[in-house]
Amino acid sequence: MNTDLIPALDAAGMPGPPWLFHFLLVFTFFLHLIFMNLTLGGTLMAFVANLRGGGRTADPNAVLAKRLMGVNTYAISLAITTGVAPLLFVQVLYQQYFYSGTILLGWIWFNMLVLLMIGYYAAYLHKKFRGPWLGVSALTFFGIAMTHVAVHLIHVQPEKWARFDANALAVLGDPTYWPRLLHFVLAAITFAALVAAWWAVRRARAGVDVEVNTAIAATAWRWGLWSTVLIMVDGFILLGVLPKPVLLGVMRGGLATLGPLTISILFGVGLLMMLARAKNPVENPGLVSGTLAALTLTIAVMTVTRHQVRVLYLDPFTSQFHPTIVPQWGNFILFALLLVAGLATVFWMIRRVLTSPAEGDEAA
Amino acid sequence: MDYPIWNVAMGGGVLMAWVAITHVIVSHFAIGGGLIIVITETLAVKRSDPELRELARRSSLVLILVSTVFGAISGVGIWVVAGLISPGAISALIHNYVWGWAIEWVFFILEIVAALVYYTTWDKISKGAHLLVGWLYFIGAYFSLVVINGIITFMLTPGGWLESHAFWDGFFNPTYWPSLVLRTGIVVLMAVAFMLWPAFKASPDRRPDLVRYLGWWFLGGVFVSYAGYRWWEAVLPDTVTALFLGEAPTLAGLAATRSFTLWSLTLGLAVTVVALLLAPKLARGLTAILLMVGAFGFFGGYERLREGTRKPFLIHSHLFSNGLLVSQIDEINARGIAAHSGWVAAGDPAPEAFGGRIFVAQCASCHTIDGYQSIREALPTVADMELVAADQPSGMGAVHYREQCSRCHGDIEYQEMAEMMPTLEEIREDPEFIRELNLGMITMTLVELRDMGEEFADFEPGKQFDMRTLDRSYMPPFVGTEEEVEALALYLASLDRGETDVVATGGEK
Ligand code: HEC
Ligand code: HEC
Repeated sequence: MNTDLIPALDAAGMPGPPWLFHFLLVFTFFLHLIFMNLTLGGTLMAFVANLRGGGRTADPNAVLAKRLMGVNTYAISLAITTGVAPLLFVQVLYQQYFYSGTILLGWIWFNMLVLLMIGYYAAYLHKKFRGPWLGVSALTFFGIAMTHVAVHLIHVQPEKWARFDANALAVLGDPTYWPRLLHFVLAAITFAALVAAWWAVRRARAGVDVEVNTAIAATAWRWGLWSTVLIMVDGFILLGVLPKPVLLGVMRGGLATLGPLTISILFGVGLLMMLARAKNPVENPGLVSGTLAALTLTIAVMTVTRHQVRVLYLDPFTSQFHPTIVPQWGNFILFALLLVAGLATVFWMIRRVLTSPAEGDEAA
Repeated sequence: MDYPIWNVAMGGGVLMAWVAITHVIVSHFAIGGGLIIVITETLAVKRSDPELRELARRSSLVLILVSTVFGAISGVGIWVVAGLISPGAISALIHNYVWGWAIEWVFFILEIVAALVYYTTWDKISKGAHLLVGWLYFIGAYFSLVVINGIITFMLTPGGWLESHAFWDGFFNPTYWPSLVLRTGIVVLMAVAFMLWPAFKASPDRRPDLVRYLGWWFLGGVFVSYAGYRWWEAVLPDTVTALFLGEAPTLAGLAATRSFTLWSLTLGLAVTVVALLLAPKLARGLTAILLMVGAFGFFGGYERLREGTRKPFLIHSHLFSNGLLVSQIDEINARGIAAHSGWVAAGDPAPEAFGGRIFVAQCASCHTIDGYQSIREALPTVADMELVAADQPSGMGAVHYREQCSRCHGDIEYQEMAEMMPTLEEIREDPEFIRELNLGMITMTLVELRDMGEEFADFEPGKQFDMRTLDRSYMPPFVGTEEEVEALALYLASLDRGETDVVATGGEK
């Protein structure tokens, strides 16, 4: 493969073994996906539910929209926070490709920040003033998804950089672009839907607004079912349009690549069966929690597959570069310890908060 | 330098400046706000003072709306823009300091989660638990600074790292501690500048109290940051301070920045003493604005000074801001920039177009064509020559000469030049000849810039360089072969013909 346009490796070398960065990249990206799914899927769903609720505050659809947007206040911030880490690690492993991809997109990539800002504040404005803000928010988040899929497809295909340099939007014509985008967007919707269903079931079982919560659970469950059906169809299309060498790579990769892929397909089928089984999710809370857990696992496994596909796309190029490795083990260990301590502190704090209700006169 | 180039008309540096300025103001506010808000709440609980508590609560709304999102997005923005305009440089930083950033990320998680919880749980949980969340927020925020401060100061004074390339040698570099003290003061200044607004909303009888309370904070912030600033100056290598201190500072602009920085702080101090401490009843919106001007001026001035003294490096004495490593100079001079970067090599092989791509790869990170640090302005043109030669009305020739020529002809007086250069008639008769003359000047300038690169070999390796010994200490050297010098010169000379954007990046077919 011609590597002329690919920048040199960084002279400083890699501050740890590549496998460590691969692991951290995949792991933190998975964390990011959880909150990204809530943000993107939740906002898209809230937008539709809000329309269907037609402004009647007691309508289950309206309550669902309100709830999803309530979660969003936190989900957006956490999506950004968890997004920082994969952004950092991708720059260690793939800086030659990643920066090149972002530069070829130029303003489009920069504008992602602008969209993020608009999306967040529009969500806030929606809560205050209603109006068109929810639609604005949904649109901007969708735009961010489009940007990410674009930068991904550009950075993994250096052989096409000259073409993208002439016209970055040519990436929209990449056969995998739309199936790939849809795959992520639908998964986001499924995840947000199942979280909403799970919460509504819990509320209903606890005897809070049973009627509304039962209706919400049923609606959200249907969202989950139908978007999973679409994901399965779209997933096979995506597999079919992958470039030949990449698809062959997946097929010939043995257990390492076929394992995760098979597991996620089986999980997908399993999810469909679970989703189709319950007509009224409130009657079957165990199934609901199980389905949400299975979905989360599927996302985790799919994150691995996604990464393997990137590795295969880039293999003809990366195999021609041999980074020197200058491990900083001490610093890694410090990071790992602090990460554990930091997360423990966060959990401890949240527990403290949940178990310390305001006393008497303090309660508002 | 071997990356594709994002060609922004406004200049990548200008865009970076905007993103970075917003980010540092908001992020320092987020830290200082955390500190003052949680201490204020602690005091309010102790003294059972609902107005004081209200101040903390109102400020925490600003904190969450502005800092957790705007601060976080603009922080990501710095990476995004750096990756777009100087990918090689940011890559080098990340490959050395990724674990530093990873550790900062841990504190960032704590900061953000605590901020969200703190804001949502006012009056919903016990006061003790709420205070705890507030303190955890501050710890997370402050330790982000403790970490990132190591990386920022490393860039200006890499210290022992230049020799050892060891993480901690660079992290705890000579300016680490002074800078931490200075920034600790600054976070307080930023926070007070914002918190005055919610304080104004308190009931009229308590307002003066709260204003004076914030005044004490600001006063403390002024002293801490002034002490930190002087300490910072004291530990900077002489070769760096000489750029902006003393009788004849090398960079007069930076010396002015330094005065501006200190006068801004003085303004902040004066406003505080008069309108916040002595007569808090007088404090109005205008007071807050003046205070903001003082605080932002001081902070902005200091940041400008730090950046200005670091130029043209991203990591002093190691890596230039256009991504060129000091250690690469000889190799690229020998093999050529085209051999180094596929993006420069690919595309129209005509010398002028080739030169355009060299410009983009080496110069465009600082120079735009017509905007900020315009290259067209910096180069001699036929029109410039005419103005100088015409001397109309009498005396203007010298003025034009000073503006257009003396940056390269500092050693030649106007009179001397007037005798040496072609007359107005000669210029009008044969502008082509003048173009040739200008091309010669540009070529010679590039040759000088290329020769400058060889002087880096004379510096003592492993030590911070004394850039004052260089003629153009504000610029990286030009690197490339002689043929590439000619191509770039042809391109630069062609700018005088009015083509605005002949720059074609590589790969275009
Ligand atoms: C690190 C930023 C930086 C880079 C990269 C850079 N310059 Fe400059 N250049 C400057 C600054 C700063 C000035 C001074 C501008 C002023 O005085 O207003 C300058 C001035 C100039 C001048 C005016 C003459 C002089 O010496 O003041 C020329 C010509 C010039 N640059 C050409 C180039 C060329 C050609 C390149 C690419 C090989 C280049 N520069 C790369 C920062 C840079
Ligand atoms: C970017 C830097 C630069 C600028 C700006 C510049 N010059 Fe020059 N000029 C040079 C260099 C370099 C030389 C070549 C000196 C040498 O040969 O030693 C030169 C040479 C000359 C010469 C020829 C001198 C000789 O030895 O024959 C004249 C005349 C001249 N410049 C006039 C001007 C005038 C007038 C201006 C303003 C309109 C100007 N220059 C602006 C860099 C510059």
